[in-house]
Amino acid sequence: MKLIRSTKQQLEFRLGRREKQVLLDLLKLYPCLPAARQPLSKSGGLPDPATGQALLDEALAEQRQENRRQLQALLADPGRFREQETGWRLSLSPSDLEWLLQILNDIRVGSWVLLGAPEERLAQLDEKTAPHYWAMEMSGQFQMQFLEAMQGPN
Amino acid sequence: MAQTAAPELLPGTIQEAEEKPRSDREPGYVVICWNDPVNYMEYVTHVFQVVFGWARQKAEFHMLQVHEQGKSVLARESMEKAEHYVHQLQKYSLHATMERDQ
Repeated sequence: MKLIRSTKQQLEFRLGRREKQVLLDLLKLYPCLPAARQPLSKSGGLPDPATGQALLDEALAEQRQENRRQLQALLADPGRFREQETGWRLSLSPSDLEWLLQILNDIRVGSWVLLGAPEERLAQLDEKTAPHYWAMEMSGQFQMQFLEAMQGPN
Repeated sequence: MAQTAAPELLPGTIQEAEEKPRSDREPGYVVICWNDPVNYMEYVTHVFQVVFGWARQKAEFHMLQVHEQGKSVLARESMEKAEHYVHQLQKYSLHATMERDQ
């Protein structure tokens, strides 16, 4: 994937045919991170921890629903992916990129959790772990390329 | 953290604003980001910039603190604001919590 054009309103990327398929396959995995996984507090020193935690879980669930809705709209929009001779051109606004980053990181962290949240790189992969490892690494690759595009040439 | 220049007092002026005792200050909660082996440093820096509106240098400072020391205190706030920041950081799948300011 390569950034080919960037304005304040829009960024355009060129993707190979296989790259586009990989991105679509990845995005189908969203949401990947288990719901209600994150605690609001570690020490538990909040006045009403149960209510606070419930509110946080609810807000995150709503956010996921909204991200999912936006993702479906993006994938259904024929103007987003335009076929070229050598592949595809993907057009995104800066705000699209922002929530796409959230989605890709959900897939990355969620895949890592499904791998058992390892502290070190896995020494060996098997049939069960390989798909999660693939999703974690590939979502990371797209994330880094999107981040680079957002920052522009430094 | 990057140091800021101390405010200069002119001769004959009185420094009126005294720092309030810790207990009198409203913010009672800290927002903490914890280290994990999965989030990219570049991504964490970006999230701090977006959520707190920080310049890249400040965001990088806190990202490195998370990476090297295992955690970084990102803000001292009222309960409501701290909850808001934790929500924003968790929305980006960062490991963030709020704790009572000791």
